[in-house]
Amino acid sequence: MELAGTEAVFFYILALFTLVMAIALVTAPTAVRGALYLMATLIGVAGLFLLLHAEFVAGAQILIYVGGVVVLFIFVIMLVNIRAEINEPFRTYTRQRRLAAVVVIVMVLGVWYFGIQQDPFHLVRQGPVVALIPPPGAPPPPVEEPTLGGRISEDTQEVGSVLYTKAALPFEIASVLLLVAIVGSVVLARTRRQEETFD
Amino acid sequence: MVTEAMWTVLQQVPNQARTWQGFIDALLKKGINDFILLSFLLFAIGVAGVLTRRNILIIFMSIELILNAANLNFIAFTRYWQMSGRLSEHMGHVFTIFIIVVAAAEAVIGLGIVIALYRNRQTVAIDEIDLLKW
Repeated sequence: MELAGTEAVFFYILALFTLVMAIALVTAPTAVRGALYLMATLIGVAGLFLLLHAEFVAGAQILIYVGGVVVLFIFVIMLVNIRAEINEPFRTYTRQRRLAAVVVIVMVLGVWYFGIQQDPFHLVRQGPVVALIPPPGAPPPPVEEPTLGGRISEDTQEVGSVLYTKAALPFEIASVLLLVAIVGSVVLARTRRQEETFD
Repeated sequence: MVTEAMWTVLQQVPNQARTWQGFIDALLKKGINDFILLSFLLFAIGVAGVLTRRNILIIFMSIELILNAANLNFIAFTRYWQMSGRLSEHMGHVFTIFIIVVAAAEAVIGLGIVIALYRNRQTVAIDEIDLLKW
C-alpha cells in the first residue's frame, strides 16, 4: 500500500508539471519555445496515462505526438517564420484578449456551477466510491490472472483485441483518413512551379 | 482546483481521525474527479490559447492541448470502469488512439495550409489574414 501514496504524489507532480507547461505554451514568446513546451505538456499527459494503467496509449502518445506531430510543428516553424520573428518582435496576442478572458471565465464558472453545484455525477456517487488510485489501507482491486507477458503487455493485448474486433470499421476508416491526409498535405504544400509542371 | 481539493479534504476529515495521517490520507485519495478537473483545466488553457494568440502555429498547438484534455478524460473514465470491476473495459483507450490519429491528420493538413498561406501572404499572424472577413 506504500505504492498508492507514491502514485498520488506522482499525480500531483505530473498535474502541476502539465498545467505549468500548458500555461507556458499559451504564453510562449516564440513558436519554437511553444513547440518545446507542447512537447513537455504531452510528456506530462503521457505520464498521467501511465498512472491510469494505459501503457499502450502512453507509448503511442510519446511516439506519435512527441516523435511525430511536434517534430512536424518544428519543421514548419523553421520553414515559415523564424527570421521574421527575430528581426521584428511579434505582437503576441490578438486584440480580443478581453473577450477571450470573458469566454474562459464563463466556461470555468459554468463548469463550476453545472459540474460541481448541480452534481451531474450524483448517480455515480450513489454507487460504491471508487478511487482511481487506491488510498492507503483500502482493499486491493480485483487482481487479474498473471500471464506470461505480465500486466503491461496484457493491457496492450486487450487494447489490440478491442481495436481489431469491436472497432474494426473505424480502424479501416482511420487508415483511409491518413492516406487522404498524406495526399492532401502534398497537394497543399507544393509550390506554384511544381503545380505548373505536373498539372 | 483548490476549492475542490479543500472541499474534498473537508468532507473527508470528520469521518476519519483528525490527525495529520487522516488529513494526508484524505489528500492522497485520488478519485476520478481530480482527473476530470485537470482535464478541464487543460481544456480551458487550450481555449484561452486559441482565442488570444496571434501566431497561427501556437493556435494549432493549443488545439492539440484541447484534444489531449479529451484523451485524458477518456482514459480516466476507462480506469473508472476498470476499477469498478469491468477489468476488460478498454473502449476509452481505443477512442484515444483514434483521437491521436485524427489529431495527426489534422496537424498535417493544417500545417500544409500554413505553408501554402505563408508562401502567398508572407505572414502567420491571423489578424493579417483577413481577406474573407468583411
